[in-house]
Amino acid sequence: MNGLAKNLRLFWQGTLLSYRALFHWLKPTTYAASKILMPLTQMMFFIALGTYGSGRDNSEFFVVGNAVQIAAVSGIFGVTMSVGGERWSGTLVYLFGTPANRMMIFFGRAFIHIIDGAIGVVLAFTWGVVLFGLDLSQTNLALLALTILVTTFSTSGLGLLMGCLSLVTANVMFVNNTVSFLLLIFSGANLDLKTLPVWMQVISNWLPLTRGIAAARLLVAGANIQSIAPLLVQELLIGLAYGMVGYFLFKQVEITAKRRGSLETV
Amino acid sequence: MNAIEVNHLKRTFRAKIGVFRPKIKEIFAVEDITFDIQNGELFGLLGPNGAGKTTTVKMLTTLLIPTAGSARVLGSDVVADAQEVRKHIGFIFGGERGLYWRLSAIDNLRYFASLYGVEPEVTKKRIPYLLELVGLKDRGNERVEGYSRGMKQRLHVARTLLHDPEVLFLDEPTIGLDPVGARDFRQVIRDLRDAKKTILLTTHYMFEADALCNRIGVINKGRLVALDSPANLKKFVSDLNIIEIESFGIAQEKIDQLRKLNFIGSLSIQDQDQKQILLIQTERGAEAVPEVMSVIGDQRVGKVIVREPTLEDAYVRLVEG
Amino acid sequence: MNYSNIIKYWRVVLTVAELTLRHQMNDSFILFTILVQPILVAVLALFMLKDAAANAAMFVVVGSGLTGLWSSLLFISGNSINVERFQGTLESLIGVPTPFDVIVFGKNFANVLQSLLSMTIAYLLTAFIFKFDLSLQQPLLFFLSLIIAVFAFISFGLTIAPIFVMYREVQHWQNAMEYPVYILSGFLFPILLLPGWTTPISYALPPYWAAVALHGTSTGGAELNSVLFAWAMMIGLGMIDLLIASRLFKVMLYKTRVDATLDVQ
Repeated sequence: MNGLAKNLRLFWQGTLLSYRALFHWLKPTTYAASKILMPLTQMMFFIALGTYGSGRDNSEFFVVGNAVQIAAVSGIFGVTMSVGGERWSGTLVYLFGTPANRMMIFFGRAFIHIIDGAIGVVLAFTWGVVLFGLDLSQTNLALLALTILVTTFSTSGLGLLMGCLSLVTANVMFVNNTVSFLLLIFSGANLDLKTLPVWMQVISNWLPLTRGIAAARLLVAGANIQSIAPLLVQELLIGLAYGMVGYFLFKQVEITAKRRGSLETV
Repeated sequence: MNAIEVNHLKRTFRAKIGVFRPKIKEIFAVEDITFDIQNGELFGLLGPNGAGKTTTVKMLTTLLIPTAGSARVLGSDVVADAQEVRKHIGFIFGGERGLYWRLSAIDNLRYFASLYGVEPEVTKKRIPYLLELVGLKDRGNERVEGYSRGMKQRLHVARTLLHDPEVLFLDEPTIGLDPVGARDFRQVIRDLRDAKKTILLTTHYMFEADALCNRIGVINKGRLVALDSPANLKKFVSDLNIIEIESFGIAQEKIDQLRKLNFIGSLSIQDQDQKQILLIQTERGAEAVPEVMSVIGDQRVGKVIVREPTLEDAYVRLVEG
Repeated sequence: MNYSNIIKYWRVVLTVAELTLRHQMNDSFILFTILVQPILVAVLALFMLKDAAANAAMFVVVGSGLTGLWSSLLFISGNSINVERFQGTLESLIGVPTPFDVIVFGKNFANVLQSLLSMTIAYLLTAFIFKFDLSLQQPLLFFLSLIIAVFAFISFGLTIAPIFVMYREVQHWQNAMEYPVYILSGFLFPILLLPGWTTPISYALPPYWAAVALHGTSTGGAELNSVLFAWAMMIGLGMIDLLIASRLFKVMLYKTRVDATLDVQ
């Protein structure tokens, strides 16, 4: 029981740390701009572009795709920064010197961003209904909520891996931005994946977000749990896989840094 | 015409105190400063941290607008004719910043040379000359981010001389330099003075001002408390002797008791690692020692010296009253 | 900003541009905004629009190049003064006899040139890798439009930087300003798709007229009259922007020296 309590405490501390880091530099205006306005403007752009390219009655395809894609932003930027941000504040040295359970800390960081990301997606769906005429009358809202949570979870897993990578490379923002945009292409948010060349479809299948978007689209069209369950399970597994790889990389970073004596500059 | 004329210069800052119910506090950085600097003079502005030296220099180099008062450099007003002033001055603010760290030293110099309007043919010759002058001849193509602090300071000197200005403002230029680097830098300053440039140097190192300057203005809490040559300033304390006592953590109540003694002009404390040096200014000199020691009692002390005053002691008297 | 200043200090403008390019060459954020993002936008837009029109490829290349131009103006030129402030070099730049607006003009010039580079890369990539048809309908007019667009964009950018310096709160909305200009300027789709009340806003944006001219002369089969009109709008708006920028710079240079914000404390 003692161990569990300690681990929970670590998890919670990780969450709190991320929460403070997230909101410390964000004043209400910046938060509003990046959480509310920017996703909205991004949606407006791609929905308009999409309907221009493929016809007005397809707007639902783009609305749902872009709404769910918002999860990627929080997963990539938020999580990567809170793990990769260790480097900048030089606190990694201290972290490695503690006996704390790495896994708890690691995943604790991601937690707040999962919630934050989910809220962002819900907001995006609201815009979809209010501004873009999204019809959710056929949708099982509970399942949609579940889909959103699973998707933000899995993109956070990718974020954890990227956060780790950014600990060893120098270019956090560059990688963040590039991967974020690549997800826009490969996730099917704006493209029917079947029109992509085969090699690109393979990549899409190995990335998070792809199945989340597919499930959401099915739900909006009125699907039930049977159709989307396999997608959600796979999405969950992908997220876990990326997260675990990230975690092992994190442990490896620690071992290498301690062996090489390069803790300060890791 | 004087090189620099300062007339009742004043500068206040507004600072927000507190997070939840912020109050605006007015800080009087420079309260009422008047002085002149002649052509070719090496003038020192001496004062403790926060005295207003850098603020004064920033106003004279057209980087800050005075709250009141006026100043002229080579006859041009620093606010109304800022552009004209900038053509004839160079300035260094001590520290690591102010250079483009991803560019090489030569590129930095080329950039500033063009901004100062130096003709390309002149620039081509002057850059190698200046790099040699400041001892960076072989490192010119390296990026500044790899430079040590001393090297960056020297590059600042080169940058400042690109357009051959008549007036130089050096704000705490030896700060952060190791003793050898600082000594070399002082020689550079002397060479500049010999080249007939007018120099305003700010520092909080007394010995530096003493060694270099024709005249010194002592500034404290935004006001000029003295303005004279180093020799004359020392005369200000010539009637005094200084008792220097090495102590190891002397109790505050002892210090208060000492201060109350009527023959003590002023008492200041210098911290040096594990020990402190008590500096007592008194007219009575060596005869005062026994009484001082009796007040100190059984507190642990090391050396006790009675000596003549230096410029530093004059400064202490001026600044701490 | 005095037009005359830029002509008088033309050598400084070129030196500033050259050294800005050198200094930024290694900055990964800048590389992303100027090179990588427009190419990614191009790839995505190519897939999305390939069925919409015959010469979609050229349209996408020009459109994505324009998005790159705007993003670079917004993020890089917009931040340029504040970046100097954080670096500690702003005071050194103000304390020189060269007027500050000339320096910023040079920096913007460098950024716009870098963006044009990305447009060229996108063009080459699309031509050789995707093997799309990339012919320009009216090449001469296109290149002239490009030159005028460069002027219009630089001038527009000159109004943004001082606003970001003087009104820090405005900069917080920076992220949200990227896509709206893509939308309102018709970079990758015509503004016909937008509600009518937005049209006057579009007309006031120099990037819109740049898109009209560049799309019109590359894929749109525009008539000479409409191209000339677009040029006139770009030049006119450009000059208005220069006027506004000149006032803004005067105010900014005075205000920062009164408020002592040339350096971070």
